[in-house]
Amino acid sequence: MNEVCFKNLDKKKCYSLKVYEQSGGYSIWRKILKGELTPEEIIDELKASGLRGRGGAGFPTGLKWSFMPRNASMQKYVVCNSDEGEPGTCKDRDILRYNPHAVIEGMAIGGFVMNASVGYNYIRGEFMEPFKRFEGALKEVYKAGLLGKNIGASGVSFDLHTHLGAGAYICGEETALLESIEGKKGQPRFKPPFPANVGLFGQPTTINNTESFASVPEILSQGGQWFADIGVENSGGCKLFSVTGHVQKPSNFEVPMGIPFKDLLEMAGGIKKGRKLKAVIPGGSSTPVLTAEVAMEMTMDYDGIEKAGSMLGAGSVIVMDDSTCMVATLTRLAHFYYDESCGQCTPCREGTGWLYRVLKRIMDGDGKADDIDLLLGVSDKIMGNTICALGDAAAMPVESFLRNFRPEFEYYIKHGKSMVKG
Amino acid sequence: MISNQAKKQIDVWVAKYPIGRQSSAVMEALKIVQAENENRLSADIIQAVADYLDMPSIAAQEVATFYENYNHKSVGKHTIRICHNISCMLNGADDLVKYLEKKLGVKTGKVTKNGLVNVKKVECLGACVGAPMFQIGEQYYENLTKQKIDEIVDNLK
Amino acid sequence: MADIEIEIDGNLVSAKAGEMLIAVTDREGISVPRFCYHKKLSVAANCRMCLVDVEGAPKPQPACSTPINEGMKVHTNNEKVKASQKAVMEFLLINHPLDCPICDQGGECELQDVAMDYGSDVSRFSEGKRVVVDGDIGPLIQTDMTRCIHCTRCVRFGAEIGGIMEMGGTGRGEDLKIEPFLAEGIQSELSGNMIDVCPVGALTSKPFRYELRTWQMNSVSNIARHDLTGSNIVTQTYKGRVKRIVAKDNDSVNETWISDRDRFSYEGLAHENRLLSPQIKVKGEWREVSWDEALEFAMRGLTDKVLNTGEANKLGALASNTATLEEFHLLQKLLREVGSENIDYRLNIKDLENTVTLESNIKLAGLEGVDHVLIIGSNPRLEQPMINHRLRKASLSGASIDVINVMAFDFNYQLNSENIVTPNQIAFMLAEVLKLILQASNAEIPEALSKIEASDTAKQLADRLLDADNSVIILGEHMVNNPQASSIAQLINEIAQQTNSTTLNISATANSMAGDLTEFVPGKKGLDANAMLATGLKAYILLDVYPHFDFHHPAQAIKALSKKDAFVISMNSFKDEAVAQYSDVMLPIASFYETSGSHINIEGKVQSFCASVSAPSDVKPAWKVLKVLADLLQLPGFHFANSMQVTSEISNQGHKQNVSNKKLDIKVKRSVNVIWQKSPYAVDALSRHASALQATKIGQMHSASMNKATAKKLEVAENDNYLGVPVSIRESVANNCVFVNTNKPIRGEL
Ligand SMILES: Cc1cc2nc3c(=O)[nH]c(=O)nc-3n(C[C@H](O)[C@H](O)[C@H](O)COP(=O)(O)O)c2cc1C
Ligand code: SF4
Ligand code: FES
Repeated sequence: MNEVCFKNLDKKKCYSLKVYEQSGGYSIWRKILKGELTPEEIIDELKASGLRGRGGAGFPTGLKWSFMPRNASMQKYVVCNSDEGEPGTCKDRDILRYNPHAVIEGMAIGGFVMNASVGYNYIRGEFMEPFKRFEGALKEVYKAGLLGKNIGASGVSFDLHTHLGAGAYICGEETALLESIEGKKGQPRFKPPFPANVGLFGQPTTINNTESFASVPEILSQGGQWFADIGVENSGGCKLFSVTGHVQKPSNFEVPMGIPFKDLLEMAGGIKKGRKLKAVIPGGSSTPVLTAEVAMEMTMDYDGIEKAGSMLGAGSVIVMDDSTCMVATLTRLAHFYYDESCGQCTPCREGTGWLYRVLKRIMDGDGKADDIDLLLGVSDKIMGNTICALGDAAAMPVESFLRNFRPEFEYYIKHGKSMVKG
Repeated sequence: MISNQAKKQIDVWVAKYPIGRQSSAVMEALKIVQAENENRLSADIIQAVADYLDMPSIAAQEVATFYENYNHKSVGKHTIRICHNISCMLNGADDLVKYLEKKLGVKTGKVTKNGLVNVKKVECLGACVGAPMFQIGEQYYENLTKQKIDEIVDNLK
Repeated sequence: MADIEIEIDGNLVSAKAGEMLIAVTDREGISVPRFCYHKKLSVAANCRMCLVDVEGAPKPQPACSTPINEGMKVHTNNEKVKASQKAVMEFLLINHPLDCPICDQGGECELQDVAMDYGSDVSRFSEGKRVVVDGDIGPLIQTDMTRCIHCTRCVRFGAEIGGIMEMGGTGRGEDLKIEPFLAEGIQSELSGNMIDVCPVGALTSKPFRYELRTWQMNSVSNIARHDLTGSNIVTQTYKGRVKRIVAKDNDSVNETWISDRDRFSYEGLAHENRLLSPQIKVKGEWREVSWDEALEFAMRGLTDKVLNTGEANKLGALASNTATLEEFHLLQKLLREVGSENIDYRLNIKDLENTVTLESNIKLAGLEGVDHVLIIGSNPRLEQPMINHRLRKASLSGASIDVINVMAFDFNYQLNSENIVTPNQIAFMLAEVLKLILQASNAEIPEALSKIEASDTAKQLADRLLDADNSVIILGEHMVNNPQASSIAQLINEIAQQTNSTTLNISATANSMAGDLTEFVPGKKGLDANAMLATGLKAYILLDVYPHFDFHHPAQAIKALSKKDAFVISMNSFKDEAVAQYSDVMLPIASFYETSGSHINIEGKVQSFCASVSAPSDVKPAWKVLKVLADLLQLPGFHFANSMQVTSEISNQGHKQNVSNKKLDIKVKRSVNVIWQKSPYAVDALSRHASALQATKIGQMHSASMNKATAKKLEVAENDNYLGVPVSIRESVANNCVFVNTNKPIRGEL
């Protein structure tokens, strides 16, 4: 436990440059500055580590970094996604608060590998405490002469800036995030072109999640194989899981990939006394919900969760006990996507509101017999037809809640009230 | 419309972006100027910010209306931004919203008579392990209970 | 790019690598529904209507934003595609008011058309529909935003073509609202194109509102004549009236766009101020008479006054620059036939010995491809909007643009340098530039330039012209009455030759090119406009002349024309007090869109048009009136049955402007120079009578701008009157210069 991003968690002032350096921090960066590491070596290590993007989609980080047109002479950027807005997710906040230097070093390494001399960390606007921590850390590194132009006459340059959000979940979507850094509304761009070709300010750009960047220095220090071995096949290393909801001790846990869900639940103190596990959303609000039975058999890695019928996503495990009304829960989630749709593309703009209104009507006791089919039909029409994955994210919970807990919805429609006595 | 102090703060942000990309700073500029104007934006303010950053006023208006953290109506001196998304909801956020409304004597979205406080229900603030939670100003308050709320809210000045 | 092969619905199709799928299907005539895609705008891919099935792709792909690859297999109408398109259509319709029966777009609505094919099941939406409250965005465009489908074509139009982002999308999600920054509203000179690009009835023409359904109207192609572009338009008419004007595609002329002036000026046709019947003045009293009587009277007047007395040289003809090619031709032919060479259309030039003569030798489309532009004395955005659009395109693809102007204007593209220079210094500045250019090629320096010491500014201007591979020098209308106009033109001509630049002369607008081509200028023994008025002729034929707007010195002109023994025949479309004062006969003539004829645009392209509507009541096309008058005068060679026969008679000799070879005058003088310009929507009688245009911000332009120092010299203050125009003090005007923009019938001595 706590071997990578949370390595120094139990130390005093774990966020300071001093503590970070004492535990080997910036050794990779210093090697780079001394010319002892090549981009190719780094990419090879990352590929060997099996690190997959921690922002939700799980794309292999080493492969992503290798896509950047490294030799082209134009300005390139690395961007860190600290927008953390997916309901149930709260790990990046802790990384920024307790280990900001790992993010900085990870980004700097990325900058070197991809020949990008400027980076931006996009931090969600509400995260003022993490923002200040991160800015404090930046000050420290600049003072230590580890960032800037032609750092220590090494020929390597890297400047890092923060950009604050202002309240929009969609800015977590990487191209919306780029628009936002450009001072625009956070509306996702259609792809192609991909950011690796046309990204921030029209230049080649790579975007990674906070946890992905923060994992890089330790992986390179200990070796890719070491990291891969922590986890299981197809899911290298350890990962932060935010376990929240109806558990005794909600918390972030950095644990090896492939850990059984029931162990993780136990670490979080288990379900509240007198209650029974009812359902689990394993990867954040956008991933399909699972029943207790299925969840208890599941291992926490990409393949394990997929086999169970859901997705690892950002590793945000939302636990629900038998006091949970699934109709109310889905309505709340539907409201979220309705509220957060950027409004750009037709199916999401019109469909998320439709889904929410039908659910709200059911909650108000005005449900109609064919509303379940209607909900399924509408979510199916959003699915796959939108510019970005928010549309899918809005559709998937609807489909899975109805598939797994259909009787509860039928009951609510028929009786105008919940089956569950909370 | 924009104080010199604010301009200085805005310029710090402008400096982060490539030359000619000063409109990247519009999000922060709007926040900075909003803070100086009773926490709300008006068409004039938006226009002033747009002019300062040399961008079309409508583009600034787009930003000002897209993001949650800008206010276009009066708000209290303190806005209690209470999360009611899934993890907080599972931990009783809805009850706390009702409790706050009762305690303050105003519905969410309205400002207390003395202009001090308003309550706003917001989506996930990324502190789910501390559910239920709310934010006042820059500060997060987690693992809320009614008693804790009393302490916090009674100390608002 | 290389051609590759892809398969669409089982058929092999060849296309260029990297092209978007929709461009290929459009070319092949395969129908793919779309709302947000517009061939002249950037791709947004937000409506999701154009989804097609690409083999191998897990999700349906939008044809508008999917670049093609070799071997790609696409299905545009299988079950998967139909399901996606139906889904999108359903989403589009749930919040749409479906108020087609009262919508101005009815019958030409892209949503309505596609809904016929795809819409179904709409009734499943039982929640309340979204209603959007509309604000007033200006006199030209009516909004009905509840109908908006958020395709953002109008937003992109502003940002990309208009050059100023006027519309935007505020709010988010379902509350996304397309609107301008309301404090400002819509103000640009191309704004009406947003009506054309809007696929639904959210943006419609305000003057046209609720008038009619589109299918009730006739569509007739026509040519807009307000400027040098000759934009192609479609006039939509109902019961003999023009009801609306929309753009007609012509890539080599106006592409898909037209200016607001071209779109909304038609409103003037129905103005109460139209001159509707022939009138003759008998003993100082106006009498309405029949055409026969009026023409008889006119004929008699001419014969009595000048023809029978052998004084044909005491007859003069003056025309405004909006006359058609055929009208110019017939009038000059009539004059020359009776033996007079007193012919002129250049009414606004104070010194006709000192005119701008400079050839244009670049095509409109060619302007897009230049890498450097030097603009001298022009505000192209408001004067020649479609030419400006081409310059903007050039700028966007990297051309550098330098400006020498007497005042800073609001350009909608990046300028490399904007040199604000006193009118009296422009010739000198160009002389500096020329000298540097000659020096650069070690050419001999002419005597006139020998003493010049070139400034840094001139050096930069010269360097860029020398460096550019494909530059154009543009001479605008502000130089027309410059005391050194002819020298300026000579200098530009020389600079252009030395630097291999093309030139564009946009100093005379509307149909002036036709005036030149038909030689509507005095012949060897003839008098020019100024000389005619100064000498005082015995008879005049005036073609659509409005003295307060058209002459550089109206008072003097009116006085000359009002002389007791002068017999004046006026052909006009609109009533005008001054005209009534000096005329003896007033003949009502057809206005724009009521007559057939031709316009010649800046590149020399002759564009002929037919009448879209017939003229009201007793009004006749001017070419016919001239023909009958000539017949009455028993002149040979006027046997025309239609205007086309006139057109074909006009020898297409390709008129050349001979550059003057007068002595160069580059001396800097100290006097105050007034540049007098009709404001953009007051350039001709039709525009002046178009009420919506007049209500716009551009239509309201009426000011004499000058800087503080000049104001002091002239002893005027802000809002005082200078030559009848309110003073506006701005430091953006060069010293010793007054820049007047007026939309009112006043004009003092310049
Ligand atoms: C609606 C939406 C919201 C997202 N929010 C986040 C987020 O808050 N943080 C994040 O890292 N990735 C988020 N993502 C994923 C990003 O688009 C992107 O895949 C990720 O930042 C890439 O980093 P990684 O490869 O390190 O995972 C979101 C995606 C979508 C579609
Ligand atoms: S799916 Fe939703 S959030 Fe994504 S681009 Fe479309 S409207 Fe915006
Ligand atoms: S036309 Fe392709 S998405 Fe709108």
